[in-house]
Amino acid sequence: MARIGRRSFGALALAGAASGLSAPRIARGQGATIKFGFTAALTGPFNEFGEGIRRGAEIAVEEVNKAGGINGRRVELAEVLDDQLVPDRAVQNMRRILDNREIVGLMAPSGSGPTLAIVDMVQADGRPIINPQAQTPSIVYPNGADKPPRPNVFSISIDNTVEAAKLATALAGYRTVGILHESTGYGVTGAQLVRAELQAKRRDARLTVESYNQRAQDMTAQLVRVQRAGAEALLVIGLGADTAVIRRNMSRLNINIPLYGTAGAVTVPYIEGAGDLVVGTRAVNHAAFGRRPMHPAAQKFADLYRAKHGTDRWYGPDPANPFVSLAGTVASGYDCLNLLIDAVRRAGSTAPADIVKALNETRDFAGATIASITFTPQQHVALKVEDLGTYEMLKEGDRVVLKLRD
Amino acid sequence: MSRLRSALSRTVAHPAFHLALVLALLLGCRWLSAGTVQILTFALIAIIFSQSINLLTGLAGQISLGHAGFFGIGAYCSGILAKTHGVDVALSVPLAALLAAAAGWLLSFPAGRVRDVYLAMMTLGFGMIFYEIVREWNDVTGGTMGFPGVPSAALHTLSILGVRIDAAAYFQVVLLVAALVLVLVRNLTQSRIGRAFFAIHVSEVAAGSIGIPAGATKQLAYTLSGALAGLAGGLYAHLVGYLGPESFALPRSIEVLVIAIVGGLGSIAGQVLSATVFTFLPERLQVFSEYQFIAYGVILTFSLVVLPRGIAGLLLDPPRFIKPRALRRAVALRPDPAVLRPEAAGGGDGGSLEVASVTMRFGGLVALDDVSLRVEPGRITALVGPNGSGKSTLVNVVSGLYRPSAGRITFEGRDITGLPDHRIAAARVVRTFQDPRLVPHFTVRENLLLGAHRLLRHTGAAAALALPSALEEEAQQLAAIEAVLALTNLTVVADRTISTLPYGTRRMAEVGRALLARPRAILLDEPAAGLSEAEMERLAQVIRDMKAMGLAILLIDHHMDFLADLVDDVVVLDSGRVIYRGGIAEMRRDPAVIAAYLGDEAATASEHAHA
Amino acid sequence: MDDFFFSLVLAGISVGSVYALIAIGLNLTFWTTRTLNFGQGSLMMLCAMLVVFLASQGLAMALAVIGGLLVVAALGVFVERFTIRPALVASGGSMGWVVSTLGFGIVLQGVAAKYFGSQAMAFPDVLFTTQDYVTVLGQHLSLQYLVVLALSVSLILLLELFVRKTVWGQAVFAISLDPELALVQGMPVRLIILGSFVASSLLAGVAGILSAQIGGTVDPAFGFDLVLFGFVAAVLGGMGCSVGALVGGLAVGLISKLVGGYISTAAEHAIAFALLMAMLALRPQGLLGRPEVSKA
Repeated sequence: MARIGRRSFGALALAGAASGLSAPRIARGQGATIKFGFTAALTGPFNEFGEGIRRGAEIAVEEVNKAGGINGRRVELAEVLDDQLVPDRAVQNMRRILDNREIVGLMAPSGSGPTLAIVDMVQADGRPIINPQAQTPSIVYPNGADKPPRPNVFSISIDNTVEAAKLATALAGYRTVGILHESTGYGVTGAQLVRAELQAKRRDARLTVESYNQRAQDMTAQLVRVQRAGAEALLVIGLGADTAVIRRNMSRLNINIPLYGTAGAVTVPYIEGAGDLVVGTRAVNHAAFGRRPMHPAAQKFADLYRAKHGTDRWYGPDPANPFVSLAGTVASGYDCLNLLIDAVRRAGSTAPADIVKALNETRDFAGATIASITFTPQQHVALKVEDLGTYEMLKEGDRVVLKLRD
Repeated sequence: MSRLRSALSRTVAHPAFHLALVLALLLGCRWLSAGTVQILTFALIAIIFSQSINLLTGLAGQISLGHAGFFGIGAYCSGILAKTHGVDVALSVPLAALLAAAAGWLLSFPAGRVRDVYLAMMTLGFGMIFYEIVREWNDVTGGTMGFPGVPSAALHTLSILGVRIDAAAYFQVVLLVAALVLVLVRNLTQSRIGRAFFAIHVSEVAAGSIGIPAGATKQLAYTLSGALAGLAGGLYAHLVGYLGPESFALPRSIEVLVIAIVGGLGSIAGQVLSATVFTFLPERLQVFSEYQFIAYGVILTFSLVVLPRGIAGLLLDPPRFIKPRALRRAVALRPDPAVLRPEAAGGGDGGSLEVASVTMRFGGLVALDDVSLRVEPGRITALVGPNGSGKSTLVNVVSGLYRPSAGRITFEGRDITGLPDHRIAAARVVRTFQDPRLVPHFTVRENLLLGAHRLLRHTGAAAALALPSALEEEAQQLAAIEAVLALTNLTVVADRTISTLPYGTRRMAEVGRALLARPRAILLDEPAAGLSEAEMERLAQVIRDMKAMGLAILLIDHHMDFLADLVDDVVVLDSGRVIYRGGIAEMRRDPAVIAAYLGDEAATASEHAHA
Repeated sequence: MDDFFFSLVLAGISVGSVYALIAIGLNLTFWTTRTLNFGQGSLMMLCAMLVVFLASQGLAMALAVIGGLLVVAALGVFVERFTIRPALVASGGSMGWVVSTLGFGIVLQGVAAKYFGSQAMAFPDVLFTTQDYVTVLGQHLSLQYLVVLALSVSLILLLELFVRKTVWGQAVFAISLDPELALVQGMPVRLIILGSFVASSLLAGVAGILSAQIGGTVDPAFGFDLVLFGFVAAVLGGMGCSVGALVGGLAVGLISKLVGGYISTAAEHAIAFALLMAMLALRPQGLLGRPEVSKA
């Protein structure tokens, strides 16, 4: 059947400028290539994570092609589209990707908003998708964690549920805990899950939960409410920059209770944004790049990344010690593609059902972010509590160092 | 270029073109890829949404930076009704439009009090509050986690009236809805409602002076605009199937405003083109890869430098605001001079305009101090006085712009003190302004038809559907306009836009417009200012004709020569007080007038004589 | 009257002074052209980012600040010349400048994201550190905020003096009332309008630097939300009124903090916008503004 692609259709005013400029593609062995696609925030003010997973995915593809591809067939990122974190654009991009019947596997966008917007559509389509970064549990388990997952949706991100369990362990020593969370899906569910975990751990736990808008400049109202509730420790669920604002705000208010953070706190914006104040902060993030020695897959990825991009703002300035956050920002894209490649190889087929079946049979796959990835038909979230580490920020000389505490 | 533009405009306006386009898309969508169909559906929704802004901002001149609020109300309403309560989409989407219309109507009350930047800020506030409410109202909207699983074509869960709808069928439904919306909006634009929107856009005061109520007109504009935005939102909900608060935040309000402005405010075709371009733009910009975001910004930054009047201004002739069918009907009718004949009833004796002891204070300043005067039907009363003596203030008080601090104004025995301006016009007291306040991009004919706004009684529905009865009524007024055009010597320029005409012609058009409001009393505020000798003579003749029609005429002017052989009575104001009342010949000899006024006026008059 | 209350009040005054500083910058262009630069937030962001960048290249902090301010001042010229003027010329009274200034803001965001990355960059302490404070009624009042407050107040005083006592100030005032008349009277209207945009951009730059050091980081999306509150502050106090900007800023800050503290932190933002709508509906000229005289 003759189908007119959108390329030839939405011609109007921009046709002249656009024609003939489509992105360069690997053209060798067309019929044989195995194609993957994704949409993510690649440009604009929110592109940090989208650009990261793109780099990770590219490294995975280069690596497998260098090793001869999948059973001799080359691998290609055939559709890489930019949604700038706008949900509508993610939907449009994903439709276009799904339209390309040659695409056999997908990676989810960078962020919960766009991912939630496209995930129903991908589920209906049936092709496998792996989520690298978005933390909302309902992406995989729309009806609750005790119900079956979406059949074709898998996740290696720092899932809210797992992070909450880890945080609850760290916070179990306090009776009264304040929680400040960003007013996003991630923040709201995170706070609910931590509350539930903490109350399960100790009956007498008292929690006071406050929300803030991302990039708010002042958190005094939240902090004094937490202080008035007599909190012995404070947990911040949100981005690094916001955590920095909160830490500085605490200093101004002379609030000196222990501060706990989520993965966002183990990032440059917090560590540099809060300066010396970070000392003593404990936060949860991937253990992968924090353990010494790193597990082999993590070390290999760090070497591959450094060889290609050098010690840039994702990797950090120290060649021997990449940022802990490299796991979440870049390596998760690498793992997603490797998992898809591995599944296609084991399935020996590119039919969606076969790949999904193979993904469901993934056992102890050595990932860079998660040392051992296992999926089963019921278990589509790879992360386990032991894959996360609690880091304590210390000062050595004039550098901040992260000590993996457990 | 202009010939090309005209050809293009004619094509774009031709019903056959519309029909062909709709049919082609209707049938052709089965051969398009799913992605193309989906993005075309997005474009159609953007088209409906941009018409909503066009109606409010382009026509009625009320800017909105919070339109995502209406869009969101529609989307959540239809989504929640369909998913949670199992309401059929054929009902939930209209209900969504209705709810958004109600929201628009409510917003019109606070918003009607402010304009320009202030209005932008207020609507911005509306949008932000909506966004915060959606995020915090977890039980209903799903809060920040969003609202998934709305019956939608993309998820194969949509059925309308029991019929399963796939993505292509949904596109066809939305296409028909959009086509219907465009037809209705086009009809409205070319009706008394659309013209009234433009009238309040240009000048609320002038609109009121010919009986167009600014408040009610704005309420209508907000309500209709809300309904269209809600409709677009409802359709959107069943396109994407997932509603998250981020989809209804400020960027969406901005995006639709950008579409409307770049398309060319006021032009329907411009909006259609612009909405299509901007929907496809992000995808087209993928070729700029890492510079995509920057490229989008650059396009917005320079859009006005490149396209000062939007896409429509570049590609199309300016739209017209009278239905061609009404015009054709009017041609069949003959010019109807009834408008120029004295009326039998009501305009008889006792029908005078009486100002009794009116005082007007602004703070400590007394602009009018116990002013009384009487304007008789069939007589021309001149109101003269030095600058700042309160002449214009008196006209403003009589025409309802100011409520007097004390005193009474009656017309034909009826108390009209403090009535709003459009009610005073409805009582058939009509005014003109020192500076002609016409709609600059309307033709003379369209401006004159505005004058007859009050007499067009057909409903909004009749206007939107362009029912024959509505067109007939319009045609009759157009026939009356022919007569007024002939009287005011404007027939040759009837179809030129006001902005292209010289000042004197505009003045005359304004007088003509006032005539079409069928006044029985007319207040002419310095109608001769800036006119040439020939134009002044013409004006004097028109005023005499008005006198012959039995109108009560109050004429403010400085030119004594102009007034001398025209007026019956003179009232002289000085510092807000009446210092003389009587004939013009005696006025020249009145010592009080000479002292207060004629001294410097006589001096300037003699200077004129020397010049 | 407890610590809880005083903490909220001090926080309200502190953030309010930031809003006031932004509102003053918005007022400047509103005076001369009745327009607002929707890219103001991006100018704040760019200036702060440039300071970080220049400082990281080894430039002394003072020089980095001057460099950043010079760039945004130049961009102010660009804004006036390429986004405001064509829009005002194009079609009198249309709001086209909303589109062009927004577009300008997007370009700056895109450029910053491209060349500095979209991850938040740490912003150095320019004036004082987080730990510097004075004690007021037993509460710590941050010196970083105090600088902003002092700057806002002194700028307002200077502006009032400028408008009342200098010829140029009188000219600005005349233009704000009737630009056409001012032009006829031979005032350098073009130059003054240009000047107002440069000054407004400089103020945005200063506000960007001072607010970035309070939060400690800056990223490409920085500034936009702050400018929204600057809008609220400006409208609340009365558009175009300098003292009003301060009063409005402090009012927004105080009310949102008190609502956040005593009612719900979730309502902190919504309340500011509810306040905005209520003020516009009841008293469009703002707390201290004069009603606009409509020319009937």
